[in-house]
Amino acid sequence: MTNPSPVTAPSRTKDGRRAMLPRWSPKLGVGLGLIGAIALFGVVGPLVVGDPNAVRDIGLTAPGGEHWLGTTQTGQDVVAQIAFATRGSLRIGLLVGLMATVLSAVFGIVGSYAGGIVDELFSLFSNVMLVIPGLPLVIVIAGFVPAAQRGSWTIAVVLAITGWAASARVLRAQTLSLRNRDYVAAAKVAGEKTWRVITVEILPNLLPLLASQFVFAVVLAILSEAGLSFLGLGASNSSTLGTMLYYAQNGFALQREAWWWFVPPGLVIALFGCGLSLVNFSIDEIINPKLRDVPRRPGKVAEALRVTPAERGEDDAVLTVEDLSVVYQGDKPVHAVKGVSLTLRRGEILGLAGESGCGKTTLAYAVNRLHKPPAEVTSGAVTFHDRDGTDTDVLGLGPEELREFRWTKLSMVFQGAMNALSPVTSVAAQLDDVLTTHRPGMSRADRRARCVEVFELVGVDPARLGSFPHELSGGMRQRVMIAMALLLDPQVMIMDEPTTALDVVVQRGILLEILKFRDELGFAVLFITHDLPLLLEISDRIAVMRDGEVVELGTAQDLHLDPRHPYTRELLDSFPSLTGDRGGFIRGTEPALHDGGVR
Amino acid sequence: MRYYLRKLAFYLVALWAALTLNFVIPRLMPGNPVDILLAKLQLRGGSVDPAARRSFELLLGGGGDESVVSQYLSYLGNVFRGDLGVSVSAFPAPVSQVIADSLPWTVVLVGIATLLSFLVGIALGALVGWKRGTWLDALVPATTVLSAVPYFWLALILVAVFASALGWFPLLGGYDVVLSPGWDAEFLSSAIYHGTLPALTIVVSSIGGWLLGMRNMMVSAASEDYVLTAQAKGLRDSRIMIRYATRNAVLPSVAGVAISLGFVVSGSIITEQVFSYPGIGSKLLQAVQNNDYALMQGIFLVITVAVLGANLVVDLLYALIDPRTRVTG
Repeated sequence: MTNPSPVTAPSRTKDGRRAMLPRWSPKLGVGLGLIGAIALFGVVGPLVVGDPNAVRDIGLTAPGGEHWLGTTQTGQDVVAQIAFATRGSLRIGLLVGLMATVLSAVFGIVGSYAGGIVDELFSLFSNVMLVIPGLPLVIVIAGFVPAAQRGSWTIAVVLAITGWAASARVLRAQTLSLRNRDYVAAAKVAGEKTWRVITVEILPNLLPLLASQFVFAVVLAILSEAGLSFLGLGASNSSTLGTMLYYAQNGFALQREAWWWFVPPGLVIALFGCGLSLVNFSIDEIINPKLRDVPRRPGKVAEALRVTPAERGEDDAVLTVEDLSVVYQGDKPVHAVKGVSLTLRRGEILGLAGESGCGKTTLAYAVNRLHKPPAEVTSGAVTFHDRDGTDTDVLGLGPEELREFRWTKLSMVFQGAMNALSPVTSVAAQLDDVLTTHRPGMSRADRRARCVEVFELVGVDPARLGSFPHELSGGMRQRVMIAMALLLDPQVMIMDEPTTALDVVVQRGILLEILKFRDELGFAVLFITHDLPLLLEISDRIAVMRDGEVVELGTAQDLHLDPRHPYTRELLDSFPSLTGDRGGFIRGTEPALHDGGVR
Repeated sequence: MRYYLRKLAFYLVALWAALTLNFVIPRLMPGNPVDILLAKLQLRGGSVDPAARRSFELLLGGGGDESVVSQYLSYLGNVFRGDLGVSVSAFPAPVSQVIADSLPWTVVLVGIATLLSFLVGIALGALVGWKRGTWLDALVPATTVLSAVPYFWLALILVAVFASALGWFPLLGGYDVVLSPGWDAEFLSSAIYHGTLPALTIVVSSIGGWLLGMRNMMVSAASEDYVLTAQAKGLRDSRIMIRYATRNAVLPSVAGVAISLGFVVSGSIITEQVFSYPGIGSKLLQAVQNNDYALMQGIFLVITVAVLGANLVVDLLYALIDPRTRVTG
């Protein structure tokens, strides 16, 4: 079940490169601004602030005058100290970030690409390094090295060794998924050398992730180094923000309320880390486009909608769709459904056929108002004609009314039932949910009985109620979905490609059952598929959709024997013929089996 | 079952790696720690007999003619008997005694703080991810700043504001020193009172990570098919959020505890130092400052074992909330 969105994914060609760059956003701007300002301060600052270690006899002067941020216990200028300390922290952060990223790339990418025992060992090693807490290890190592021998390189190497494992794990997962992509397989088949496949095919696709892991490693390194220096275990020959805080702590800055001594260094670390994290947000959005700032809210129905609920027709309609239009709003609005009018009669199966992207799923979702922004219903009316004689203007329902309307009157069966069921909840709980919400008066035993009843209806052993979705076959999952759709005895069922992912035999069994239920329970079905021959077999009437419009609507028989629209003919011809006749997929020449063959 | 065996095997390997690391590191380092220790021991009036020398040599290497393999085996034997040597800074207390005295403080402090920040972070993250596009989005950059703040600096600020300036909380320590430790109400309330600021430090600095991770997973989950199905089923929004989106989105956060726990423990070591909290982190630093190598190594081992154990528990819990891990075969 893919929510059809005309917002196309970036191709690998021209737009591909642009997709690798972060989108401009206020977050990115602020992040880059913070990083830039602090980096500039660290690079240029030390050149202009004078000697950070110059001792004056004005210890612990409050900010003001010559010393913007006051002085330390020994009268050193805090601004000068911060400038040098920022430089020191940035240097070690970059150094460690670089080394840790290289290490994680080696263990994460190379290992998972090589596969087999190498991958097992590398991955085991990364995971072990991950669960052994880093800082205690660093402290122990630092404790064994005499202070005089603790140079910044020693500290950098130790921090890198204890800080790469988390990234390696992330990179491994991503490489594993890339490794199985078609273009990588193609390169391998073409006999490309391994290092070439890694550098040309895999690395470029990992760049956003590598960048984000590098940023993460730099933040972590600066924080860890600061912690280490604060404990007095940092490099003896360098001054960093952590060292500054160490002296502040030991100079009793806190007790003497010399906030100007200990607040600014931490603030620089926090702001720099914050800047890097904000940049990371933008990188994450490249890796996972779902994170982009699209508000999650119900699909809109245009305010100025002409609401004229349809008259109850003489032909016993249960659902009337009139002049419905759905537009994907954006820079270039896309008209996905254009003025569609349909009438679903009580107890009938109405097929909706068309190729991918013709707007059939969008139409089906809009009928139940499941469309999501940027989709918006711009015109039309959807009217539900209840068995009891009342008419419901679906597009005009308030949120709570709409919620009650859904599933009680109109239920849906989606494509890919694999994902339509929550993987971590038992099937029974997901059926039970419907009953507790819509039938609050039912007792637990009654609810259970109803679940058993619908399971038996669709031919699934009620013992499977306790199963989780992954324990069921694809066909069984789809039957469970149908059982769920039957729970409240709805009058309309919308089925969106319900059998597409299943093999022919299972598909056939399920279709037969749908026909049987329709006859026994009397609900109407809007059946959506690209498979026109299948529709010919099961539908009473068929609507053919193309580019958002219904181009032809007629009985299955008429459509099969006498297609009016050239597109319908094209669709019919495009299916393989077994007998040489057009539409020969249908065995025999009888167009609709439900006229006799199936039942 | 296979899942549990795999996990158990993994943690055994990790434990072995930690033990070995502990054995190897001092042997790779410059200097002769055994002599330093023995000198200190003598200073404190301990007997520097061959037995004491050998027990240090097993931990730290150097000296005798014993082969590395046999040293390694004896070392492992000692560790499993709980014999971690003698602490020279707390002489004549053995290392295991020093650890036993300070470990409960840290376990309670870090345990409660971590649980609290996990629960609050997950709940807030779920809400922010579900209600994206509303004012709640402002929490995201705010927590970004929080998670970039160094633990110890936040601790300093909290002390400066709430202890020094306002005087609401004590400056340092784990309990009022006039009281003697015990299970009475007075002592416990004193311990809670003293532990508030350290716990607050850990909660505030680690909550951002949980919140952001959860929020991102929630955003992904919100566009999953099962959420759409739940909406089509006419369920109430709160039910969809909790039973469908959150229930699924929380899995990676739980799986990520392994990664985060290391950071939290690291952060709390430094936090303890700022507050002079009587926990194992402060003890580790005292050991480093006093060159009490045996204590240092013992504490490293215990911290590692504790983290591994916590991870194992989380992994076992994970199997409870993700039925897919229970697949047999």
